[in-house]
Amino acid sequence: MNAPILEVRAVSKTFQRTGKPSVEALARIDLSFAPGEFVSIVGASGSGKSTLIRIIDGLLQPTSGEVCVEGKPVTSPGPDRAVVFQQDSLLPWKSVMDNVMYGLRIARVPHAQARSTAQHFIDLAGLTGFETHYPHQLSGGMRQRVNVARALAVSPKILLLDEPFAALDSQTREIMQTELLKIWDAEKKTVVLITHQIEEAVFLSDRVIVFSARPGKVKASITIDLPRPRPLAMKRTTAFTGHVDHIWKLIEDEVRSAMGLATLT
Amino acid sequence: MSAFLEWLESDARGAGATRVALSFAVFFIAWQLLALLVTNTMIMAPPLAVFKSLWVETQSGAMWKHALATVGVVLLSFPVAVLLGVMIGLALASSKLMTLTASPLLTAMYSVPVVALAPLFISWLGLGLASKFVIVVLVAIFPVIVSTEVALRSTDAHLIEAARSFNARPLQIFTTVTFPFAVPFIVGGVRVAWARALVGVVVAEFFGAFAGFGFAILAAGQTFDTPVLLGYVFVLGILGLIGSVLLHALERHLAPWREELGQ
Ligand SMILES: Nc1ncnc2c1ncn2[C@@H]1O[C@H](COP(=O)(O)OP(=O)(O)O)[C@@H](O)[C@H]1O
Ligand SMILES: [Mg+2]
Repeated sequence: MNAPILEVRAVSKTFQRTGKPSVEALARIDLSFAPGEFVSIVGASGSGKSTLIRIIDGLLQPTSGEVCVEGKPVTSPGPDRAVVFQQDSLLPWKSVMDNVMYGLRIARVPHAQARSTAQHFIDLAGLTGFETHYPHQLSGGMRQRVNVARALAVSPKILLLDEPFAALDSQTREIMQTELLKIWDAEKKTVVLITHQIEEAVFLSDRVIVFSARPGKVKASITIDLPRPRPLAMKRTTAFTGHVDHIWKLIEDEVRSAMGLATLT
Repeated sequence: MSAFLEWLESDARGAGATRVALSFAVFFIAWQLLALLVTNTMIMAPPLAVFKSLWVETQSGAMWKHALATVGVVLLSFPVAVLLGVMIGLALASSKLMTLTASPLLTAMYSVPVVALAPLFISWLGLGLASKFVIVVLVAIFPVIVSTEVALRSTDAHLIEAARSFNARPLQIFTTVTFPFAVPFIVGGVRVAWARALVGVVVAEFFGAFAGFGFAILAAGQTFDTPVLLGYVFVLGILGLIGSVLLHALERHLAPWREELGQ
């Protein structure tokens, strides 16, 4: 394996809240990501997945531990990482083109150059012809593609995706999954994907990391050795369903204990 | 009929104008009926008599003299109120300490009927432009300050976080997220301020002026010339309506996504 591009070293995060008990969101997370690797993180809600994404991006400082990109500690957001957030975070008063150009303009890339870069990713995301549309004129699936294009436009080495398809219906979601694989293949990014859907994680990833319920800890890391390219039909093979069942069992206990129910095993 | 009502509720071309025409029609019918019931011409005048007196005022040039005085004051002081209001709102939003310190005072001043202080301002600053300028600025500025401050503070936290993830500096976040988000809300505050400015200038003119709609209304009242009095009130209403419609259009133009979300 190559030298890791991204390392999460003993990262813990406890939120202090005035007048309320503090929340331990993450407890000593150690993770390592190889360049070009596609890794998914699954876990019950509240297990600190979004918190980890924010810490990796540099939006949030860990209580202890550190994140390193190519060996250098992360202290703030940087051009080597980009996030697609769980919530809709396009600027409603900017067109698709201006939204996709946003990160480039912030980085003071000249307008013409930013425009042609943005156009490339608009085309890649299948949004050609919608450049002058505004977010409220697009479907949820298209808005999320704009978010992905906006993140890719700054040419990050690491793409952080926080449940990007959670709000989409299952058909749109499947289409977006294959689109994402195509983009990943074309752009050779390291991808960290947070998802609720185990099937989605197995289908897309080289590796699936299972988080335990609060506080988030790494419970298991499962290598998905299915060959690529992966056609949709792969979802019906026993190798695929075997992985899904395995991960589902690992998670079930966590979800149960998070809900205060007795564990099965 | 129900198809017509549906069309009337829609954003269709002409539906808005039809709604305005309808509400005016209803208004004039009600006014005419009231004038038929209240026949004492000292306290009531029918629409036609009012429009006739407006015509006479226009012909004699009195209308233009008063319009020049009132509109002049407003055009001079209103932009100042808006600019100053936005600046104060920005200053307040930029510092939590400042807001916490200033906001009780602001709330108190917002609730005080500043127009009640008009006689004071006139004795301090005289009958000329200065006193009216100060009164209009004072009544109009508060909605602008408050809407600016609230809008800047209520920016969607997700949008700010997304900007931060692109490494936007605080000033960039302000110019690309917080301020554009706030602008349509500020225009909403300006719309409220416009109506208050018109009230402010008229009340200021009541207490001391040689021309202006307020002066004309007071004079007509003292001579029981009800058609003229109502005529000038009608003109003020039109001024208020024009300002409101234009600013509302601006608000829609600046934030079309809010319309479609049904806000
Ligand atoms: N800014 C914050 N302040 C306080 N508590 C927070 C904050 N952000 C997240 N939390 C808490 O941390 C825990 C993990 O949250 P999150 O990372 O969003 O989980 P997930 O994305 O896995 O659902 C939750 O209990 C949440 O309430
Ligand atoms: Mg989350």
